[in-house]
Amino acid sequence: MDNETVVKVPRKKFNSAYIKRHYQLYLLLLLPLIYLIIFKYLPMWYVLIAFKKYSIVQSITEMPWAKNHGFEYFIKAFKNRDFLRALRNTVKLNLLDLLFGFPVPIIFALILNELRLKKFKKVVQTITYMPHFLSWVIIYGLALQLFAPSTGFVNLLLGKMGLEAIPFLNDANTWVKTYIGLGIWQSFGWNSIIYLAAMAGISPELYEAASVDGAGRFQKMWHITLPGIKPTIVVLLIMALGNVIGSGFDRPFALQNKLVMENAEVIATFVYKIGIKGLQFSLTTAVGLFQSIINVFFLLGANWLSRRLGERGIW
Amino acid sequence: MKRRVISLVLACTMAFSLAACSGGAAEAPAEAPANNETEAAAEEPEAAAPEETAEVASELVDGKFPDTRHISVEVYDRGNDGGSDPTNNMYTEYIKKGMLDKYNVEVEFVAVPRWTETDEINNLLAGGSAPDICVTYSYPTVKTYADMGGILDMRPYIDDYKDILPNLWGWLGESNLYWDSDPNDGTTWAIEAKLANMNRVLTFVRKDWLDTLGLKEPTTKAEFHDMLVAFKDNADKLLGKDAGKMVPYSVSYDVGWRAATLIESFIDPKISDKEYYVNGFDDRKLTENGTKDAIKLLNEWYNEGLMWKDFAIYGSGDTTEDDMMKAGYVGAFTHNWDYPFRNGEDSIQANLARLVGPEAKYVAIDPFEDKNGGHTKFLAGPIDRKVFFPATNDEPLASMLYLDFISDPETIQYLQIGDEGVTHNVLDDGSFEIIAATGDAIQNSGMNIDYTITCNGLHLTTDELTKNSLAHSYAGIDPEDVLHANDIANTDTIIGINVKVGDIEAEGGVGETLSAKRDEIYDKAVSAPVADFDKVWEEGLSDYLSAGGQAIIDERTEKWDAQYTSENIR
Repeated sequence: MDNETVVKVPRKKFNSAYIKRHYQLYLLLLLPLIYLIIFKYLPMWYVLIAFKKYSIVQSITEMPWAKNHGFEYFIKAFKNRDFLRALRNTVKLNLLDLLFGFPVPIIFALILNELRLKKFKKVVQTITYMPHFLSWVIIYGLALQLFAPSTGFVNLLLGKMGLEAIPFLNDANTWVKTYIGLGIWQSFGWNSIIYLAAMAGISPELYEAASVDGAGRFQKMWHITLPGIKPTIVVLLIMALGNVIGSGFDRPFALQNKLVMENAEVIATFVYKIGIKGLQFSLTTAVGLFQSIINVFFLLGANWLSRRLGERGIW
Repeated sequence: MKRRVISLVLACTMAFSLAACSGGAAEAPAEAPANNETEAAAEEPEAAAPEETAEVASELVDGKFPDTRHISVEVYDRGNDGGSDPTNNMYTEYIKKGMLDKYNVEVEFVAVPRWTETDEINNLLAGGSAPDICVTYSYPTVKTYADMGGILDMRPYIDDYKDILPNLWGWLGESNLYWDSDPNDGTTWAIEAKLANMNRVLTFVRKDWLDTLGLKEPTTKAEFHDMLVAFKDNADKLLGKDAGKMVPYSVSYDVGWRAATLIESFIDPKISDKEYYVNGFDDRKLTENGTKDAIKLLNEWYNEGLMWKDFAIYGSGDTTEDDMMKAGYVGAFTHNWDYPFRNGEDSIQANLARLVGPEAKYVAIDPFEDKNGGHTKFLAGPIDRKVFFPATNDEPLASMLYLDFISDPETIQYLQIGDEGVTHNVLDDGSFEIIAATGDAIQNSGMNIDYTITCNGLHLTTDELTKNSLAHSYAGIDPEDVLHANDIANTDTIIGINVKVGDIEAEGGVGETLSAKRDEIYDKAVSAPVADFDKVWEEGLSDYLSAGGQAIIDERTEKWDAQYTSENIR
């Protein structure tokens, strides 16, 4: 389900002498290349399962084609309300993530960049990175301790203050906010690294010149820092858009429960439940293939748009 | 939480195994290195079966294989705190030694996590690496793989080897061996283990709380409700500073199981076999007449603050609720008939005594009256787990002999009670008293049901011995409490019957979807505001029916009518 982003090397004329000279480097490249071929390209052959009646004992070429010219399972999927619900939720949660989650690391990086005290900056950075290394299962454990309706710390505190408990985890709509919020909390520190790196690359002369011209802090941020990291922002935005109907599995799966399925069932968890637990491999491969194709279109679209707007795009 | 971790790992493995299971059949035999002679037979199991019989009869010399065979057997891993290694302990040694001595068959155990067993077995089957003898509670899983050709038809082995399988035939009999047989062609994808003890679900209450408040054990729903209210109103008296943590009545996300006796009390005790069967696809009884009223009552209790508010956000295998029971916060709950007695030193009862005080304990009660004033309990049939052989099993004879060995009364008895002085004492009347074992001798599952895969429930060499020992079979538990629970569990029972109308096609592939929906409906309906209950229930149910539930009901009705002329067949 993950999309491989192919980074192209600037084109060079094919030259065997060149390869001979740098053969060590090519050897080094070989291992990751084999990995990609075995784990990313060979499995693609098996998307055929989406068009065939899957059987564990037959090889992919032996399996009979599905009905309706092989499209039986696609038709089935689009007639399945649970799939449509999962599709809707995937788009909804990802767009919300993009809307609220995307700007946060940029703003955070801007603020961090303004800090003078090196030590303080380091400490803040380290603390905000940390959640990135926690698995979602652990984060859900923390969320239960904090947000459970009757035993969660936050709700106990609210109760002590005479306020109503907030159904962070057990109301479908509030759950969406919890989901987005936890996502931002988990990733903003980590995601800000790349922006900070981009900011470090901006020439200090620009700031000095601006200071001479009498620019204030906000003016410098607006006219120098932001334009300086704009290419980075665009690349990351394209990649995020390319994933708008994709989704990780662990985050929604770890956070969902029976009461919030209305908003929490996404394609990844749907595929797991129906395909892997419910043994409908063909149906869910069809769903997965559909998801990948849409993602590719989003990716191409976003890339095209960014070029139209005068940015570099990612290829 | 554990379930989630495991599920994540599973999902990842699955992603890989889907990619890797290119030529299922072609690869599988290579993965389970076995005898060269039998390898060919494995690839075409059905065709080879009859001819193999003659060949196989001569394969055994004096009832033994001349050369050592190797089989692998699934065993549940329950991940108990301080349990023994499920694949290597005193009992597995006994089995391994027994099989090697008796048949010259080497046995290897493959651990499968109990609470995600279906997922795990799916992965193993799809990856072509399932153990030779598999066990599951989910027949639909077996059926799905059988339809793909991934499972051996056991019927030829059951019938042709009958003479060398006296214990298997003696213990399971035609009833359980043929339980899942196709009425038309006899194919048998799995045999059903026998439920030696059919006790199902009971309600338990804190005896010491009743005593403190001077209450009687409730015998009706109204009295039960009053009791819950009394618990809640006297939380300060009962729990002191922990009053806020009190849960008068607790259920889990699996409401259909955890309120089973309540739900059953709303079903007409005179329900016809046909009606019960037609609506009986869901073993949590979602579509039976009466279930809605039961859940409505639960919903009222929930909104009166009598139930565990957070029940739905903890998933399968989570121990939060058990911990609350152990810590003494839970007043009453409904669960498996021996739930608080299980697990020796780590049982709920033992923990209560340790953490709260020696007088604290749960006793079984029978509070939910049906419309005739009885306390009807609908039991499943005398069946338990389903034992099946995946198509990758290239030692069907050795596997059948294993099933015979494990059904031997002597084997069952040893696995259930272990060694004298280590896991049991012999009482004056000759019956056994189970004592808490340590280390290698710890039974990870009650009476080692994880090893006695053809038997669930205490089953000793004589009925007399079984009866006298049952009360003493829970280490550290007052025998009176066990007997009392056993009596209630046997009150007003209706035993399930085997309805043989052939495959219901509508049931294929929808089991997982429907049971997920069922849990959603139950959880949402119980926790909805009272005013919204009807709406939530009706919306949920109509979604359930249109997602396949109705088609199953219709096909079941149709096939019943085609097979039987009467509404009742007992």
